[in-house]
Amino acid sequence: MKLITGMHLPRRTFLRGVGAAVALPLLDSMIPAGRLGAQTSKALDKPRLIAIENSHGAAGSNAWGASENLWAPAAVGRDFDLAPSALLPLEPYRDKLAIVSNTDVRMAEAFAPKEIGADHFRSSAVFLTQAHPRQTEGSAVFVGTSMDQLFAQRFGQETPIPSMQLCIENVDQAGGCGYGYACVYTDTISWASPDEPLPMIRDPRAAFDQLFGAGGTAEERARRRRSHTSILDWVTGEVSRLMATLPSEDQARVDRYLENVRELERRLQGIEAQNSSGAARELPGAPAGVPDSYTEHMHLMFDLQTLAFESDVTRVFSLKMSRDVSGRVFPETGVPTGYHSQSHATGETGVRDFYEINKYHVGLLPYLLDRLSDSMEGDASLLDKTMILYGSPMGDGNLHNHRRVPFIVLGGGNGQLNGGLHVKAPDGTPMANVMLALLHQLGLDDLDSFGDSTGAFSITSPKVLP
Amino acid sequence: MQEMRTINVTVAISGALLVLVGNPAAHGDRAALLGPSQSSSTGHEQRPFGDPSVADLDEVIQEYCVRCHNNRRLRGNLSLEDFSVGMAAEFAPTSEKMIMKLRVGMMPPPGVLRPSADTLLTLVETLEQTVDAAGQTRRTPGSRVFQRLNRPEYERSILDLLGLEIDPAQYLPSDTKSANFDNIADVQMLSPTLMAAYLNAASEIASLAVGDPTAGTKETTYRIPRLSSQRDRVEGAPYGSRAGVSVTHNFPADGTYDFRMTFHYSPEGFLFGRNEPGEQVEVSVNGERVALMPIDRFWSEGDPGGKGLILETGPIPVRAGPQRISAVFVPTERGPVDDLFSAHGHSIPETQIGIGYGINTPPHMRDLVIKGPGMVTGVSETPIRRRIFTCRPTQADETRPCAEEIVSRLATRAYRRPLSDVELDGLMDFYEAGAGEAGFEMGIRSALEATLASPHFVFRFEEIPEDAVAGEVYRISDSDLASRLSFFLWGAPPDDELRAVANDGNLSDTEVLLTQARRMLADPRAEALGTRFAAQWLRLSDLKELDPDVVLFPDYALQLADAMQRETELFFYGLVRDDRPILELITTDYTYLNEVLAEHYGITGVYGEEFRRVQYPTDRRRGILGHGSVLAQTSLANRTSPVNRGKWVSEVILGAPPPPPPPDVPSLDQTNVAEQGRLLTTRERLEMHRENPSCNSCHRLIDPIGLALDNFDVTGRWRIRENGTTVDVSSVMYNGTPLASPADLREALMAMPIPILRNFTVNLMAYALGRRVEYYDMPQVRTIVADAEVEEYRVSAFVLGVIESDAFRMRQVPATLESTESDIGLGLERQEMIR
Repeated sequence: MKLITGMHLPRRTFLRGVGAAVALPLLDSMIPAGRLGAQTSKALDKPRLIAIENSHGAAGSNAWGASENLWAPAAVGRDFDLAPSALLPLEPYRDKLAIVSNTDVRMAEAFAPKEIGADHFRSSAVFLTQAHPRQTEGSAVFVGTSMDQLFAQRFGQETPIPSMQLCIENVDQAGGCGYGYACVYTDTISWASPDEPLPMIRDPRAAFDQLFGAGGTAEERARRRRSHTSILDWVTGEVSRLMATLPSEDQARVDRYLENVRELERRLQGIEAQNSSGAARELPGAPAGVPDSYTEHMHLMFDLQTLAFESDVTRVFSLKMSRDVSGRVFPETGVPTGYHSQSHATGETGVRDFYEINKYHVGLLPYLLDRLSDSMEGDASLLDKTMILYGSPMGDGNLHNHRRVPFIVLGGGNGQLNGGLHVKAPDGTPMANVMLALLHQLGLDDLDSFGDSTGAFSITSPKVLP
Repeated sequence: MQEMRTINVTVAISGALLVLVGNPAAHGDRAALLGPSQSSSTGHEQRPFGDPSVADLDEVIQEYCVRCHNNRRLRGNLSLEDFSVGMAAEFAPTSEKMIMKLRVGMMPPPGVLRPSADTLLTLVETLEQTVDAAGQTRRTPGSRVFQRLNRPEYERSILDLLGLEIDPAQYLPSDTKSANFDNIADVQMLSPTLMAAYLNAASEIASLAVGDPTAGTKETTYRIPRLSSQRDRVEGAPYGSRAGVSVTHNFPADGTYDFRMTFHYSPEGFLFGRNEPGEQVEVSVNGERVALMPIDRFWSEGDPGGKGLILETGPIPVRAGPQRISAVFVPTERGPVDDLFSAHGHSIPETQIGIGYGINTPPHMRDLVIKGPGMVTGVSETPIRRRIFTCRPTQADETRPCAEEIVSRLATRAYRRPLSDVELDGLMDFYEAGAGEAGFEMGIRSALEATLASPHFVFRFEEIPEDAVAGEVYRISDSDLASRLSFFLWGAPPDDELRAVANDGNLSDTEVLLTQARRMLADPRAEALGTRFAAQWLRLSDLKELDPDVVLFPDYALQLADAMQRETELFFYGLVRDDRPILELITTDYTYLNEVLAEHYGITGVYGEEFRRVQYPTDRRRGILGHGSVLAQTSLANRTSPVNRGKWVSEVILGAPPPPPPPDVPSLDQTNVAEQGRLLTTRERLEMHRENPSCNSCHRLIDPIGLALDNFDVTGRWRIRENGTTVDVSSVMYNGTPLASPADLREALMAMPIPILRNFTVNLMAYALGRRVEYYDMPQVRTIVADAEVEEYRVSAFVLGVIESDAFRMRQVPATLESTESDIGLGLERQEMIR
């Protein structure tokens, strides 16, 4: 377990070993050497995906901020200078960093007069779907399937849990959401299908329990799995008897419930299969709930992601770092104003302060990169096998625009990504084009389009280099 | 040319209308326009529709409204070019928007040409009558999908069923809100994550309730929030103690448990509060001391073996079941504090001060971890187990009947209705499997686990009559009605009496229904209307978002925020319990306070942590607009926000939300903080902001309301100066009413009771029904408000009015799936823009 020193973070809240066990399905020795990056061995090499969203854009997407290179560096190609950029904390991981600047998330823009001004209640749903949400306060929500889910649906069935969704800030805002948009558009970035939002888990303890099973001991976990299996089996019968007594709208809802039941059954079988084929490994104790400190909360979530990757419980995470219109103050930055207020800053001092918040957020990432690069699987580190997206559907937070948004890709992406690169897309390039290329690299090479893509924009393609 | 015509028409119309109205005296002034007189009581309904006045009113709309609300400009996304008053019922969604804006007097907006008050009153009343008359013949109770138990409902259901207190946030994801409330069915999306959460919760709760002699060692952490003050005793802890934690912890078995405490430290890793010698920590079980340990002042995070800043009790025997655990400081004997610094409410604003000499800050606990059990000796009786095991088999042939009795009783309560034989058999299979594995108790535990995981517990299905056809309106079953009633009034499942009445098939009888409703309103469990309904309607959960600047507001601590929330919940429940007129929400000269909050408000003579009713000594505070909960939740960390306060009053009290701020507006925080070396007041900065005309068109609707409350600071404390300058609260409300104090604002609001009463009813209905209130519900809302007039608008009149409504007791079979989707509901009002 990694100890943090010199930062005076409350070390005891981090995951600690207590000697429970979880199965490790694939021994390192089972992976053939030299397969990393080979197209034929994708499944075996197990690419991982982490998609991280930050809601309020970046100081570097503001016209003045861009001229000062507060996000994207001045030079494209390999010889870029991170010194003025909020990305500076990533300097040690420069060779794992690909900056993609100048892309747009235009599906987050208003399409009709009644949508004007409601960007904050719409754009989170756009980030990973690159689709335009239907304006409704009810259940008829509709946007698109998010890219983490496209990947999870294709390859996630190999792990017990296809994907997991995490968030840091409380999503249940008083009063509900606004301007004709259902709260789910602001609450989650992951959509299993255009009308199926996936809830995000905020409590690290609850996330741990879902990933590794609740119960203090291996025996207790096993007992719970058995009882859950029989309960799920029984529930199906209970519900089918009930169906006839329900109105059609309720029946449709029960159908979805039954799909969830079947999915849970599949997960339980997946865990059993893993357990019977693998060797047991030590599992740290569950975290203790939601910490006060933002940094600490993020670190716990990163610990969980690393642990889940190490034990191959899941290969896909999405993480929502903030809630739109959040007024959270980050004491670590020395900026006294709330996050949302500061995103509306104009004038050099105000934009600089917003930049400090951006830099603080980016500065949380090296912790994850450290953890992943310290963890070896076969002859490659987890960082080599993971693709990490970090960005925002918002560009200039003050204008509420969705042009020239902040977006970076980290990690080796299973040998698919070249780091140490700043690529500037031609004006008007949809972010969906980049995501489509990334999906191709993750193994979904038969995908023709994604969101509002107009083609695939590969960030490793040499022709975009100067 | 165009202007000439306008003026002529206005004169002609007001003349004509004065004749039509018949009783000009009643409508001769503004107060009457906005006064409580209901359309039904003014005698207007005698005037036949199709009367020339309808054409005149159409002309008024063309003249005054269409100049902005036309197909081209589409202000507020609304065009009234094709609107006709005679067709108001056909255009009901639009009509309802007009009615709302006209009733609060926000349209036509300030600064543009307005027709006379009489004309506007006639217009809005005619719209209401036309829509309501049509509503009589075309009424629909609406429909929604089934609800699921949300976090608070789940918590209450477990408490009612087993007597077990749980924290649902440990298991379930947070609830999605819509239209203020967390119980709106159609946004309660289902997902594998959610289902897994319910499953985990069922296993954990069944094991805690029955007890688990095979329980493995587990850790539970109780964290003390950093914003929490550690100056005083915490609730539930032994008297004379200071800070720490006091919790009811559920122990799964008799056995030994370790208690471990950690402490705050400075950035250098030294114990926070190390200058206070001789502090000790006591751990107690149900008030009985089990450990007393000294604190080492010279602890450091860097101590060998990571032993610093940690206290561990070692194994301590504790019995199964819920036990009160306190881990608290035993303060050292101190003389009178003779210190230049007084102890602040927020006792750990930053950790550096805790090691500086000259500051007497005692140590602060970070968290308590309970680890166990080790050395399990069995599971002894607990109140929860006594409640579950109502029988004990003494010989083999009694086992199955006893198990059946227990399982059937628990499931009947959990499912909130009688159990079928097939259902009982299904649960008994779980009993048999568990009993076969590890005996009788394990059998009951397995059956309980299945019961709690069952969709019949987790969901609130409402059955449909067998022969129902699409579009048909039917009465929901008695047991479904009982559930609606008790979740509405108590936030909990039905009790024995209510279930018995429902089982006898009598609840559909109106008299029986109202009798039950009155009984339940008189029951203390109706406090849920304060803690669940009012807390959400008044948005009290936003309080936890506020983290005031510690330098400016060093006394703001979590305990104070909790007290503020409690004040408002108790206050609203007081109106319910005493059945007071709901408008007293704005005007009461009393509130409910404990010592912490009274001290904060500057009210003397209130001691102790218990809340009690307190008369305000002055008229500065009255009603809800004097509550810290409202004033603080609408503030920012370092200044008040008249904009947020104005928006809160418009949205929450009047039901007329202002439009969203357009993008590219510099926020107030970007204006100058100081000018010529003097710090500016919030008002001065706001005025600079409003110099921009495009901002001002909206802010003139919002800000004056908030400015009238600017004598209350960020934390709701009364102030007369801000940054050394006298606070100036004078302004003019959008309808022309001058405001110079909170009292003026209250008076201005009381002059327009109709929108307040209707908005209250809309919220109450949405919460009761578990769906957003739509335009087609508005005739019902107006009827409830009108009928409440003879009851002096007492709370019970609204609650019973909602319960008696078709929407509450009936349901319409949806014609198709699509027809249930309503994009034209009142909900859309939220995005309407007035510019």
